[in-house]
Amino acid sequence: MTSHVQNLLLGVVLLLLSGAWTWLVIDTIPAGFGDGDIGARAFPMAFGLMLAGLASVLIVKTTLASQPRTGAEPAALSEGRRHGQAAWFVALKVLTVIVIYGFLLERVGFVLATPVAVFLVMIAGLRGQSALKIAGMSLGLTAGCWLIFEKLIGIYLANGTWINIG
Amino acid sequence: MDLFFQALSLAFTPQAVGAIGLGSLVGLVFGSVPGLTFTVALALALPITFGMEPVPAIGMLLGTYVGGMTGGSVSAILLGIPGTPSAAATVLDGHPMTRKGEASIALGTAVIVSVFGGIFSLVVMIVSVDLVSRIAISFGPAEIFALVLFGMSTICGLCGDSLLKGLISGVLGLMIMTVGIDAIDGIPRMTFDSVNLLQGVNLLVAMIGLFAVPFIIEAFADPSADQSRPHRIANLRARLPSPSLLFSKFWLMIRCSALGTAIGAIPGTGGPIASFLAYDNAKRFSKDPASFGKGNIDGVIAPETANNAVTGGTLIPLLSLGIPGDPATAIVLAGLMIHGITPGPALFMNHAGEIYGMYVAVIIAYVWVLGMQLIGVRLFVHVLRIPRELLAVAVMVLCAIGAYSIRNSAFDIFAMGAIGALAYLLAAVRVPITPIVLGMVLGPTLENEFRTAMMLSGGSMDIFLSSPAALIFFALALLVIGYQFAGELRPKRNTQDEAGGSNG
Repeated sequence: MTSHVQNLLLGVVLLLLSGAWTWLVIDTIPAGFGDGDIGARAFPMAFGLMLAGLASVLIVKTTLASQPRTGAEPAALSEGRRHGQAAWFVALKVLTVIVIYGFLLERVGFVLATPVAVFLVMIAGLRGQSALKIAGMSLGLTAGCWLIFEKLIGIYLANGTWINIG
Repeated sequence: MDLFFQALSLAFTPQAVGAIGLGSLVGLVFGSVPGLTFTVALALALPITFGMEPVPAIGMLLGTYVGGMTGGSVSAILLGIPGTPSAAATVLDGHPMTRKGEASIALGTAVIVSVFGGIFSLVVMIVSVDLVSRIAISFGPAEIFALVLFGMSTICGLCGDSLLKGLISGVLGLMIMTVGIDAIDGIPRMTFDSVNLLQGVNLLVAMIGLFAVPFIIEAFADPSADQSRPHRIANLRARLPSPSLLFSKFWLMIRCSALGTAIGAIPGTGGPIASFLAYDNAKRFSKDPASFGKGNIDGVIAPETANNAVTGGTLIPLLSLGIPGDPATAIVLAGLMIHGITPGPALFMNHAGEIYGMYVAVIIAYVWVLGMQLIGVRLFVHVLRIPRELLAVAVMVLCAIGAYSIRNSAFDIFAMGAIGALAYLLAAVRVPITPIVLGMVLGPTLENEFRTAMMLSGGSMDIFLSSPAALIFFALALLVIGYQFAGELRPKRNTQDEAGGSNG
């Protein structure tokens, strides 16, 4: 995707977002009572309108700017695109692991959720890692963090509601 | 003179020096782990001080405060993830210095200028506590709104290649912070009936998401892409900044210290505003502004000097009027009152010895922090020896602990992931991330102060126009914005002129 199309798409997405935001603000937040009470609605609405204005400027500016000529895609660009697609796939995997970690944390507790999350992220994100390294990282990180944060510093790390082993 | 000797005798007991050292160490640890704030460290330290004498007790709390403020720069420089909101501006040039193999110089400089800023503000506090507190307390909602608006204008300097995209980023930050219960009317805003969203998006959670999640994704996406790593490892000697370098930056340090002290003295402002304003100031008056964001040492010196100068500044209204400027100083205030020291006009009559002892304790805390950090620099830089992808695994767990521990809620981990995804998306379409942070930091203050001012004036804008201080800040904001727009138009006009010339 060229930066021209990217900017256009960004502008349209932001314009839609600002429209939805402003509509929700007007629909769900009551206005102020006047006499100095500008109310809880004023600022979110102003920010929504500001975003709409800026997104419109971006769309107009991008549309007026000369569009690059289309032609055969250079090899470096297509390589970059393949790399970009791979990065998006990794991003999706990392975010999925973060969601699973958050879900498990309150159900099985820190001591069980952490090795599972570390194991998953290393399997999903890093190819070619030895089983020993994965096991070492999973158990070492969990034990180290538990000792330092829970036992030494006294920070509360989650206990599980399904299983709790401390 | 008797008071001075009395203060020394109170602060130089083994118990006091040990307590201050312990506080500084705990503050450093909490400050350097993203999500673990020094406010939490202070809350944990407070009960420990109950059985102590007043000076060691308050010294321990102040040591934690000072250590925490300084520690935020460690992860900001090494990983590009600020340990505290005050260190967010340090990421901009501190982390690029690490990429260039200058991590130890950046860390060493950060700690030295932090100590300078802290001691400068302490001296200002001792000399002018009465005068500064009178000026600071005259700042009402209108003046604070104008100051924060001036702070917002620095977004223009943080936009990178595109002013338009920087402004979009800033507005997105402002929008995110309006989610949750409205602070003035208590009305839920954009919460979609979710109990978790009632508290809004926590600033620290958002910062972890903005900086840490993209770091983790990039490390996993292409571990071999860290081409600077061999270069960084080759330069892992713990070099410290030369005295000549520091002397050449003396005027910048003085400017940023004065700025940090002044902002710290105004209740409700604090370190993040001071550090961003100082960064903008350093960039604006630099002979080479284009090098900012690429590893300019001035971009580390300015925010680190200013955010540590805030520590002395916040003590001014705290001691003279009993007004805490932020949650951390509110805990210090609680510590003072628990030990029978009630801040206010009579403080220096009733507890002069203890107060001077506290001043000495702050100096001892900075000596501890300097020693620990200078030794620590030699250890911290070895973090860079760890392969980036394995470091990312550890960062993920630490950030999850940090996000969870803020409110003991897994919702904050989901919020961290969602904001991280947004940051990754925005970075992919070349929207700068730093203005979002500024929007998030300043947004709530901007709105609350404006609304309070409007309520006080009964809806009249005269409250902003009748205050000389507010008018000065508005003028400064206009100047910054005008200067930036002129800078945006200048190259285009030059390009058009050149195009016209070549055509003609």
